[in-house]
Amino acid sequence: MHLTSLTAEGFRCLEPLTFEPAPGVNILRGDNAQGKTSVLEAVLFLVTARSHRTNTERELVQRDAESFRIRGAFQRSDRPLQMEVNWWRNTKRFKVNGVTQDRVSDILGKVNVVFFAPEDVALIRGAGSLRRRFLDMELSQLSSRYLHALQRYRESLRQRNELLRGDKMDDSLLDVWDAQLAQHGAVLVEERGRFVQELNEHARQAHACIAGGEAMTAVYAPNVSPETGLEAALRKARQGDIKRGATNRGPHRDDFELVLEDRPARNYASQGQQRTAALALKLAEVALIEARTGEYPLLMLDDVLSELDAKRSRRLLEAVPPGVQCILTTTENDGGTPAFEAADAQFVIDGGCLARR
Amino acid sequence: MLVNAPSMEELVEALRCLPGVGKRSAERMALHLLSAPAEEAQRLSEAITTARARIRTCSICCDLTEADPCAVCSSGRRDRGVICVVERPAGTIAIERGGGFQGLYHVLHGALNPLEGAGPDELTVNRLMARVDKGDVREVIVATNATAEGEATALYLSRQLGTKGVAVSRIAHGVPMGGGLEYADDATLSHALEGRVRL
Ligand SMILES: [Zn+2]
Repeated sequence: MHLTSLTAEGFRCLEPLTFEPAPGVNILRGDNAQGKTSVLEAVLFLVTARSHRTNTERELVQRDAESFRIRGAFQRSDRPLQMEVNWWRNTKRFKVNGVTQDRVSDILGKVNVVFFAPEDVALIRGAGSLRRRFLDMELSQLSSRYLHALQRYRESLRQRNELLRGDKMDDSLLDVWDAQLAQHGAVLVEERGRFVQELNEHARQAHACIAGGEAMTAVYAPNVSPETGLEAALRKARQGDIKRGATNRGPHRDDFELVLEDRPARNYASQGQQRTAALALKLAEVALIEARTGEYPLLMLDDVLSELDAKRSRRLLEAVPPGVQCILTTTENDGGTPAFEAADAQFVIDGGCLARR
Repeated sequence: MLVNAPSMEELVEALRCLPGVGKRSAERMALHLLSAPAEEAQRLSEAITTARARIRTCSICCDLTEADPCAVCSSGRRDRGVICVVERPAGTIAIERGGGFQGLYHVLHGALNPLEGAGPDELTVNRLMARVDKGDVREVIVATNATAEGEATALYLSRQLGTKGVAVSRIAHGVPMGGGLEYADDATLSHALEGRVRL
């Protein structure tokens, strides 16, 4: 899968944009606040309906404008694909091959992307909620079964919590919400377990490649093990849940841990090791998506090179499988770094204007 | 110019209460009613008043009806041993339109929804239990919606009815007839797969 052409109007600080990346490695160079990240963000919003920088979509519109439009032409191995989003005063409409999509969830998985930004190092050292969000984002793109179970689980969780806090609570009512949570939660736990296991196999390789042999393992840590069963765990925790007015057990408290050479990366790894671990995780996703869908995702690396030394930069680029389209942004001017040697196309962005070099 | 016209604003607000009507369509409707011949608006307003006055809930199945009991409940040709439970009156209309169902209905007027303050007492659950307790009922088919709330309601009813010696079934949700699989959305397909039946 690769992006052949992207156009954007009214998006962030970008001048009307036409971006035609090459199938291989693309470098997008520019000083800070010139619009590099906004180009990646436009691609991300087009294919996932989300931004990595904000949940307030109004921030995505150019100042003094009320709407933006992004269009992308993609080439899958079997056929071309056109995506389009029109945003107007907080409503957005997606089209795939010219056909309006009824629900935003229908566009997920049409084009897979893997995105890495410097702040993604929080995936290693940050709160469990960040790793859950990672699992949810990735699995929602890969599995409609997962997406459906996740939506049902979240609705049922809100309903159960409301019931716990309200004055209409009784055991027979809690029972049915427990059963709903157990049914959909079991799907989440099963899919997450399988995903982390697959991710693990690929992450081990990617990490060994970038870090030069150091071993990394990802371990899924479900809040309630399948052997215990969520329905039993909820029943056991019920009195405490009632007291606190919240549901304390279940997949909404899941986590996974990254272990570097037998020690949890979260507590023991250095900054550099954590960054490498996060990158390895993202590269593992690239391989996992290819294994599951038969199609490589688009890989976008925002401002990664500045944080890596020349040796790690070279290894990172070597770890990207050939055939993956990759878009890297950098502030660096230096044409001598390994990334520039490997680039198939270079672009410069200045004041929201993009030009090919 | 319709600025500072409180009666117009009131009309727009009233129309906006209707399902699926946003501000813009409410304004379009209001302008239409105000510029069309007076009889047209009169007819609509009378139709609303008359229907509201005449239509009530059936004392047996709780569906909306003009005659009580409703046509289905008073028909001699329906199978009184089977009750199909739906959330809203729209559900009975949809199933009747499909034809083929020969039993009776029960309208819950909602689903279990703690966030909206709806528990069993806000629904017509007790009336349903009372109908089943009378003893003629062999089977209850739960046709609540395929939402988290609809599924929880179905489970609640099946547990409450489980002790009463009636068969309880859930309607299958799945792929529309005559539609190829490629036209079903992902959620429907995964639901249909999970609810598959052995052949
Ligand atoms: Zn009736």
